[in-house]
Amino acid sequence: MTIIETKNLTYTYPGGTKPSINGVSIKVKKGEFVLITGPSGCGKTTLCRCFNGLVPHFYQGELKGEITVAGMDPTTHETHAMAKSVGLVFQNPENQLFALSVEKDVAFGLENLGMPREEMRERVEWALKLTDIHDLRERSPHEVSGGQQQRVAIAAVLAMQPEIIVLDEPTSFLDPLSAEKIFEVIHELNKEHGITVVLVEHRLDLTAKYADHIIIMDEGKVCFDGNPREILNTEETRLIGVGIPKATLLYHILKKEGLKLGDVTPLSSEEMAKLLQEAFKIK
Amino acid sequence: MSVFDGLKFRKVYSPIHNLDPRMKFVYVCAMFVAAIIFGELIPLIALFLMPIPFVVLAGVQKEWLRSLRGAAFLAGFIFIINVATSFFYSGNVLTAVDVENAAAMTLRFVVLVESFSVFFLTTSPDHLGLALEQSRVPYEFAFAFTTAVRFVPVLAEEAQTIMDAQKARGLELEKGGILKRIRNYVPILIPLIVSAIRRSLELAEAMESRAWGATKKRTNLYALRLRRGDFALLAITVGLLVVAVYVRLYVPIPAVTQFL
Repeated sequence: MTIIETKNLTYTYPGGTKPSINGVSIKVKKGEFVLITGPSGCGKTTLCRCFNGLVPHFYQGELKGEITVAGMDPTTHETHAMAKSVGLVFQNPENQLFALSVEKDVAFGLENLGMPREEMRERVEWALKLTDIHDLRERSPHEVSGGQQQRVAIAAVLAMQPEIIVLDEPTSFLDPLSAEKIFEVIHELNKEHGITVVLVEHRLDLTAKYADHIIIMDEGKVCFDGNPREILNTEETRLIGVGIPKATLLYHILKKEGLKLGDVTPLSSEEMAKLLQEAFKIK
Repeated sequence: MSVFDGLKFRKVYSPIHNLDPRMKFVYVCAMFVAAIIFGELIPLIALFLMPIPFVVLAGVQKEWLRSLRGAAFLAGFIFIINVATSFFYSGNVLTAVDVENAAAMTLRFVVLVESFSVFFLTTSPDHLGLALEQSRVPYEFAFAFTTAVRFVPVLAEEAQTIMDAQKARGLELEKGGILKRIRNYVPILIPLIVSAIRRSLELAEAMESRAWGATKKRTNLYALRLRRGDFALLAITVGLLVVAVYVRLYVPIPAVTQFL
């Protein structure tokens, strides 16, 4: 079942000279883990903003083409109506938390929806536990680390129990270890709870292994769209400026050198290690 | 930045901190009224002593003394002005009564400062925001208030970073006369303002994405409820007002100088 579908989506920011996204047509199935990547300024963020109607409602300007997200049209539904179905997590964790305690921040969206207190409390508890920040509940968001802040932001959208979570470079302000923790949380949400995940990320080393579907963008257009193992193995993706996982690159080089390796392109160090073990018969 | 340390509120639990901020506010207002209706030294001394049990119960003596010390300069100023005016007004004679009146005026100011400081020292901004919301203040205002409090330390940190960056490029902040010094801060203020505006845009985006404005009837994770302590404070407040008004109307208040 398709949950996000765009047809020929084109958008120019007010005052912009050329479109930020140009003729984007993608399809995302329900329950998929989609990875969107591409060089900076390629339109990834703009595409994310289209999913919950920030484009065009918040940013104005004219959005051409068709878009359907969770059965709704973001161009006619207000952002707050989309918020129940689509949760958006932003790049800078500091600027998306506004309450004076973690708990209040997680409850913010539910308060806006006017949810009864008892139900709200249950949802907040659930979201705090799932993101493993339950013991931070009374702390102030600016006192906790960047990684924890980003988990608060995830918990905050999670509390609204959306069908889709869109994360726009959620780890660019974080160290590798915190980033890994974030990706694990996201992966669990996708696998255990069936939430569709759209992740915009440069760190393919850490994320490619989770992805069912990868979309590579460049200059506002979609260049590649499909299975990560096939796409990351091509020479062109590297030339666009996509950070191919090291394991995949190594596989590529060794294969070219004539080493006999399995046919499944590895996306993580673990998979590469397994291939090498097989090749050298190390037990 | 030590300047902003005073604005950081630490979560503490004490019988006073747990009181309903609305009730505390009513109490502060009653203190105000009482301080205004008396111009004599003796009742003002009584009013000055009144918040001390609250301060001790809340365990904020150190902070409270600091706020009093902060008011000391202004208090001294008020005292001198009062003494000087009565001195020149009555033809260059200074009586003990004049000094007592000046002291009373000064103490009135100190009482106002101290009761306000007790309120702010024992009320978390979070609680205050909640109280605003439940007092039918439109949510937008309550939200603006809590967000402002939340971003004070963030902006302070950012100001520090900008200052360091500009100093690294050779900006000398502590150079020149007073006008030059003020002008030195322009290269710090402009990036700070620009980044604050950018930050507010991102915040607005995040708020929109979390269903800001979805319904008119917003709910809240917490509700303030009046407990036993709040009723006790209410009784104290009413008692204070009744006694103050009664004393004002029916009891002649002696001046300290009469006992000398």
